[in-house]
Amino acid sequence: MPPPGGDPGPVPSRPPTPGPTTPQTSAPQAQAYQTAAALPGTGAAGPTAGPRRPGRGRTVAIVLLSALLLAALALAAYLLTTTRSWQDRSAEWESVSRGLGEQVAQLGADLDGANAELESARSQLTTAQDRITALANEKAQLGDENVASQQYLDYQARISEAAGTVAAALGQCTTAQDELIGYLNNRDAYNPDDLARFATQVDDLCKVATDANTELQQELAQ
Amino acid sequence: MRRARPATRGRRALGVTLTAALAASLAAGCGALPELPGPMPTSVVPSFAAQVEPLGSENLSPDGFDAVKRMAVRIRNVGCSSLSTGSGFALDDRTLITNKHVVEGSKSLQVLTYDGRDIQVETASAAGLADLAIVRTSDDLPSAPTLAAADPAQGDTVTVVGYPEGGQLTVTQGKVVGTATDPLHENLGQVLVTDAQVEPGSSGSAALNEAGEVIGVVYAKSTDASLLVPVSTLRSMLDDASAFATLPPCS
Repeated sequence: MPPPGGDPGPVPSRPPTPGPTTPQTSAPQAQAYQTAAALPGTGAAGPTAGPRRPGRGRTVAIVLLSALLLAALALAAYLLTTTRSWQDRSAEWESVSRGLGEQVAQLGADLDGANAELESARSQLTTAQDRITALANEKAQLGDENVASQQYLDYQARISEAAGTVAAALGQCTTAQDELIGYLNNRDAYNPDDLARFATQVDDLCKVATDANTELQQELAQ
Repeated sequence: MRRARPATRGRRALGVTLTAALAASLAAGCGALPELPGPMPTSVVPSFAAQVEPLGSENLSPDGFDAVKRMAVRIRNVGCSSLSTGSGFALDDRTLITNKHVVEGSKSLQVLTYDGRDIQVETASAAGLADLAIVRTSDDLPSAPTLAAADPAQGDTVTVVGYPEGGQLTVTQGKVVGTATDPLHENLGQVLVTDAQVEPGSSGSAALNEAGEVIGVVYAKSTDASLLVPVSTLRSMLDDASAFATLPPCS
């Protein structure tokens, strides 16, 4: 039962023992409730706890602010450490980047040089290929000329041989004809049959010469 | 005194709320705080390098000539009292394809490669039903193309590589105009007509498609067209072992 005429105060942790509601017992109960209300952490105070409220709030505020301050200090320390670490890392990356940039620039210069050399090599290769093709053609033409020359030499040899044959046959022909003329100028001294046979042999010799001459003319006509 | 109760409760609630808010903001703030940097990587350069094929190197040989030129050969036909030249191309390491009229009536055949090397000839045989001949060599040939699976269609691009007029190795291009009956009556069946420029001496040249495959063999020319033995005829002749007979020497 709450004390009559007073603030009910905080809810006691243990309900009061029921008993007679006499005025003699109301004062100690009220005191007990006041004492209970004055206990820290028990919530709102009774009518006699009013002046203590600002102190508890301040304490709570101080505790909270202290905790907040500590947290802020810890956060600041962490952020400071993190910032410095990232600054160091940023510097390292910048150094690495500058190194890579120098490498890129050097490689770019090397690539330009290599491309120029490649272009030069391609040009030289094209020139060399053209030269090889031209030399192969020159060799082929020389081979053709050699073959043609050899064939001409063979032809000339055949002509010479044929001409020699013609000359020899003609020489034999004229010699035999001269001999036949001598015989005919003194035909009474020779047997007519022998003269006729000799004349036939002379004709054969001259015919051989004529045939050889015909072959020569045919060779020359080629 | 009763008026103070709500205010006290309010301050208490406010304190609790502020405390909770502070705790929550601290917790949330800790989650949003930047982390310390991790260890510095030792290298940021990848260990592998991209392989880029140099431009224009797809058909290059060790000496820089492309396969189209390497497969072509120049054939000199030394007759008993004549001299003529033609073209040909490698079919494999020691086999050449050319025209029958390029190699017939010869006392000897002399083969030169694109770079002027002499190739020794062993035998020559010619087909009876087409202006085609096979020349066997005792030396290896530089390069051999593949035969196309089918004849080209009208309008297809054709590349002819040979030795026109017995001169320098030349590559010319044109398009397939169509097919026709052989006006020279040397080939059985249809022949290909192209507008690629050829000259005497181009006979036996390989005609290639865009993939570098042989689609025909040049054997004649008209006013403004060239005639080709189609690859289908070449294939059918090669498949028939009795189609080629050894050529007799000139007399």
